[in-house]
Amino acid sequence: MRGQLFCAALAAAALLTGCSPLPYPREMEDMALLRTLGVDRAGDGLSVTASTGPQANGQHQGEQEPALVLSARRDSLSAACLAMQSLSYRYVFFGYVDQLLLGEDLARADVRPVLDACARSGELSLGAQLWLTLDQTAAEAIRAGGSGGVDRQLITLGTDGEMGLSLLPRTAGEVYADLLDRGCAYVPALTRGEEDAPLTAAGYGVLRDGALKGVLTGGAARGLERLTGGGQADIWTQSLGENRVVLRAEGAGVTCLPRRGGPGTLSGLTVTCRVRASCEENNTPLTSGERDRAKRAVIARETAQIRAALTQLQAWGADCTGLGLRAAARSGAWTETGERWPERFARLPISLTIQVQLQDG
Amino acid sequence: MAKDGGAHPRREPRLSGALTLERFTQVFHDCADFSLRRLRLWGEDGPEAVLCSIVGMARTERVNDYILRPLLRSGPPPENADLPAWLAASVLYNQDVRVETSLDQAVGGVINGSCAIFLSGCPGALLAAAATEEKRAVGEPENEPALKGARDSFVESLRTNTSLVRRRLRAPELKVREHIVGRQTLTPVDVLWLDGIADPDTVARLDRGLADLDIDGIEAAGDLEEYLTGNLSTPFPLMPYTQRPDRFCRGLLEGRVGLLADGIPLGWLAPGTLDQFFKTGQDRAYHWMAASALRLIRYSCAALTILLPGLYIALVTFHPEAIPVKLALSIVAAKQEVPFSTIFEVLIMLLSFEVIQEAGLRLPGPIGATVSILGGLVVGNAAVEARIVSPAVLIAVAIAGVAGYTQPSQDLGSALRLWRFLLAILASLGGLFGLTAGCAALIYHLAALETFGVPYLAPFTTGRPTPARGPSLLRLPLPWLKWRDGPIHTRNRRNQR
Repeated sequence: MRGQLFCAALAAAALLTGCSPLPYPREMEDMALLRTLGVDRAGDGLSVTASTGPQANGQHQGEQEPALVLSARRDSLSAACLAMQSLSYRYVFFGYVDQLLLGEDLARADVRPVLDACARSGELSLGAQLWLTLDQTAAEAIRAGGSGGVDRQLITLGTDGEMGLSLLPRTAGEVYADLLDRGCAYVPALTRGEEDAPLTAAGYGVLRDGALKGVLTGGAARGLERLTGGGQADIWTQSLGENRVVLRAEGAGVTCLPRRGGPGTLSGLTVTCRVRASCEENNTPLTSGERDRAKRAVIARETAQIRAALTQLQAWGADCTGLGLRAAARSGAWTETGERWPERFARLPISLTIQVQLQDG
Repeated sequence: MAKDGGAHPRREPRLSGALTLERFTQVFHDCADFSLRRLRLWGEDGPEAVLCSIVGMARTERVNDYILRPLLRSGPPPENADLPAWLAASVLYNQDVRVETSLDQAVGGVINGSCAIFLSGCPGALLAAAATEEKRAVGEPENEPALKGARDSFVESLRTNTSLVRRRLRAPELKVREHIVGRQTLTPVDVLWLDGIADPDTVARLDRGLADLDIDGIEAAGDLEEYLTGNLSTPFPLMPYTQRPDRFCRGLLEGRVGLLADGIPLGWLAPGTLDQFFKTGQDRAYHWMAASALRLIRYSCAALTILLPGLYIALVTFHPEAIPVKLALSIVAAKQEVPFSTIFEVLIMLLSFEVIQEAGLRLPGPIGATVSILGGLVVGNAAVEARIVSPAVLIAVAIAGVAGYTQPSQDLGSALRLWRFLLAILASLGGLFGLTAGCAALIYHLAALETFGVPYLAPFTTGRPTPARGPSLLRLPLPWLKWRDGPIHTRNRRNQR
């Protein structure tokens, strides 16, 4: 009897939680499983394009149906996603969207409403990898993927980035958290040179207050990666007197310490980047002199790249690699990373030290 | 005389009145196996003796050599001697001879293999033990094979079984109390315990249970289990059983109380807490790391077998976002053109699995194996190729089924199978919410169970502070296991120096 009363009370309590409507069952094969979502600015609203990627073909095992691409234009991301349901004979499921492309126009306006919609959606996830598409809309980038879809290429780019072979991948959640915490964030950017060319890395877009301030490309992009403590390897040919060697450098960590002008006064930041370098394609061991020259070459190249990134970031007032927070974490009671930090960061002298660990081939 | 006046009165004694040859032979009227032999002792003028026995129950050689031969070769008794007492004391070559005057006792003795000797002019009869010892030899425990341990197993003879226990536990503290259970079978059932270690309350509970057990007979294990545990509302076993005397003795050493019944080659242990059903007799034989790993695998497999079908239904049908993308795409590819819903597929496959297993069990060995192969492999493969079922469902159900076979206790495995169906149905109704509610109900059900006054979930949780021996999930090194389980109320908890 006591057990029955307990069960009845438990059932009543469960109803009070608001969980009384049970979820609705759906068969997975009756769903259009979207993998890539692109969002562009369209007037005052948004244009949303989504792709499933290649789909399983039940009639011919081993063959695949072409990717399904859907597009809708509405005032908001949620409304556009809802509108897509009527465009397919299957239930359109956004739970597997793991690539989120943002068009350049949208990024220059404000990306926060899109990220906020992802955070609040029951299906869309902040775990999706976020990319900026430069010189083209997100819809164009998705449609250019053709019947094979663009998701595999984006997944490969993301995996390469995690292995230090390409741009550092970022999830929508990481970018959104940076925007909320620091007011700025960096996002990997992609471009397509020619019409049929695959998407290629185009540096990092820097967002401040949700809007794109500019793009770091080339050495500056690599400098930003070093400021995060990692990034892809840099390989170049270096002349060491009579000998020419191929040098490879990759980030191995970064520390940032505050410099104080007096009690409670911040006079600058000292950034120390550790770089692991090695000689590639070198048949003979380097002499002591050549090693010194190689080291100096690495330091000079890394300094130039990082300084280029820092200069640009300071010009935008965007501490998107979190140097201020790193310094704050090291100095304990330092409270200079408040609301005025972007202005402070823009004017703060930053001294840079490169520590190179050179391995000989 | 009736024991109670209810609708099912029980007569005790079964046969009342004085013991005479006429009444005795009347009792065994129409019994083809009843044997009666008349003798004339010490010549033509001597008294007549009548030997009564049951063919097959009494051993003929013993009757001939130890009863008939000394009777016929002996001389007349001394004058004024009490003839039955003189024969018992000075003539018969037998360890167990007594003068019986009760008809009920004499009939019972003859049925149990004794030989009744009626002497003319003397009241009552002499009862001499001559029971046959024909029984199955002690063999290997087929259901609990041992790679590293003893290879004897219990047999159908109760006395053989008690001797197997006594050979391992030579301490005089090993007590064996016998009850006769079953109106028609009169089956001896023995309660065994180590005095000074076992909880007297558990012994008393078993004694009371057996004394109150008023049924026609004991033919199967359920005749004892279902009456003694007193809980018919749970599919979970409350008394672990074993074929292995070494495991039975280990239970007694841990402070549990044993039960042996004549005719059933098993030994039960009480109380039977949940952790007992995950242990095997070999756990102590293997290295503690290997034994711990195996035990963890068994627990994991129990969770897998009970949850996997329900989890598959819940994730695929209600919460696809919780499935990794690549796995989801594989499932979608496998499910193309299968005409049935995932819920129907899983439930039907679970049912088919049980049908194939039942068919394999009921048929003789080689045919059973053929049916299993035919059903499991051929039909399964054909069903997948014909796109009647999806390979993902087949794999999920097969993994759940095979994981269930890792359980040392078939009774626990059966209970898990029943709950597997229930959880799959709940998952079909409410997805992960239904599955979670089912799991909560299962925990509630298990927590409400008691076995001989001990919480079923002991030693994991007892509801009150109880000294435990150690983490039961693992098999710790034996030198560390210095204490017997606290929840089973042993009188002496220390088991080693």
